[in-house]
Amino acid sequence: MTVAEDRLDATFTALADPTRRAIVARLARGDATVNELAAPFDMTLPGISKHLKVLERCGLISRTRRAQFRPCHLEGDVLDAALSWIEENRRVWKERFDKLDEHLRDLQRAPSQRRKGTTDG
Amino acid sequence: MADRTTGTGELTYARVFDAPRELVFRCMLEPEHLTHFWGPAGVSTPLETIKVDARPGGVFETVMVNDSDGSRYPTRAVYVEIVEPERIVWTEPDSGVTTTSTFRDLGGERTELQIRQANAPAGYRSPEARAGFATSLDRFAAYLEKLGGSR
Repeated sequence: MTVAEDRLDATFTALADPTRRAIVARLARGDATVNELAAPFDMTLPGISKHLKVLERCGLISRTRRAQFRPCHLEGDVLDAALSWIEENRRVWKERFDKLDEHLRDLQRAPSQRRKGTTDG
Repeated sequence: MADRTTGTGELTYARVFDAPRELVFRCMLEPEHLTHFWGPAGVSTPLETIKVDARPGGVFETVMVNDSDGSRYPTRAVYVEIVEPERIVWTEPDSGVTTTSTFRDLGGERTELQIRQANAPAGYRSPEARAGFATSLDRFAAYLEKLGGSR
């Protein structure tokens, strides 16, 4: 497995949790401190910190070392890599479905070919 | 919901077709049908490149050929489960992605085909892990797209 695939796996693992998706969605609107991120959740700061560590490990977010409140920042490139994988898959299946739909119409318009569908293969 | 760090995301795609379930099922399993739609737009999958050994452990291989420049994309999968006419499951050993096709008879010669893709070689197989993945990441992707270029 390549490094890129490893990171993609880690990104999907990180995103497979609703709290972390909410955090990512919040950070998509701008940087935020841990306190700001914790506010909408019924969760302790250590609880939120655990989620942030998972997001940090896969590179989805980064935290600056110098500022006092260490605001969290969404790394758009990492998210984009995950989203483009999803997009590519979605596109392939959408186009397959479109073609399958057409194929099924053809088959049913010509009932004689319906048994095997080999005559136009 | 509990923290599910052992698992990974799952993608779901569904479409309703105006055709009986048994026919849609055969389309996903027989090379003579697959050749008509397996390649996405601009890509063909020649009949002679499709290998289907329709039993658990049997191969499902194709070569998709780009219509414009002839580049070839081989795909390699192994069937995990085939339940006619309800379900086909295969897994791609190279990527660890497992794809489940579910065929639902909606009556009146209409069939819903649902594709679920799980990208979780290790954690996915336990029932606890499965139970945690009611979410679908593609809906999340759509949501983030709505947020637009703000990120």
